[in-house]
Amino acid sequence: MVLNIAILCLAVSVLLATYRVLRGPSWGDRVTAFDFLTVTLAVLVVVVALRTGYTPFLDAALLISILGFMSTAALARYLLRGRVMK
Amino acid sequence: MNALATLARRASWWVVIAMTAVARAAGENAAPAERGVSLRGDPLAEGLILFGCVFLLAAAIGVLRFPDFYVRLHASTKLVTLGGLGIFGGAAIAFAPVQQVSRVLLIALFFFLTAPLSGYMIARSGYLRGLEPYREDTSVDDWGALGSEAEAAAQDA
Repeated sequence: MVLNIAILCLAVSVLLATYRVLRGPSWGDRVTAFDFLTVTLAVLVVVVALRTGYTPFLDAALLISILGFMSTAALARYLLRGRVMK
Repeated sequence: MNALATLARRASWWVVIAMTAVARAAGENAAPAERGVSLRGDPLAEGLILFGCVFLLAAAIGVLRFPDFYVRLHASTKLVTLGGLGIFGGAAIAFAPVQQVSRVLLIALFFFLTAPLSGYMIARSGYLRGLEPYREDTSVDDWGALGSEAEAAAQDA
């Protein structure tokens, strides 16, 4: 019951963040919403691991979290200077 | 309340079915060996997970509805940190019977290391590239550096 409501809340959050990624008027809004989207997706996978009892989903959550942070950092650097590295 | 429970059950079934399909496609046996993870009789974990979900949903509504890049970033970063505290705490308590607490705490550690850092990087690049606040008369630019990187980036390009 609690886990179902949690999954519903997190899925609605992912959908709203996806709308902001697709719609956002400036690139800053898109990057912000993308960061929020990856974090919420990792949390959603943790809750799904609780709901199903299938613990390898925890590795998937860690991987989503790492990839989300790396891509957010790369996007922020790229949008600051127009390139990722010197 | 009853309608909400039915809606939540159906929506969570769709998410669980999709994720099980992903796990099967990766060649894993998705049937859990032991269904030992249960929240029955653990009101602390239930309360923490509900707490975190309420804050994450509020963050999503803030990202959707707030008028400005900086205000949206504020909603995202602060509320996600608080909501992650609740959800990872509840998950760590609920995963204790199957000895998975260390993995949940590893994810939580990485999460608390990187969430403020990425928010800082996004805010810095947005400020230095000169994204406008939505109202000039209510914003204070303490450094006077709004958009100071835009010319340098334009010269690089």
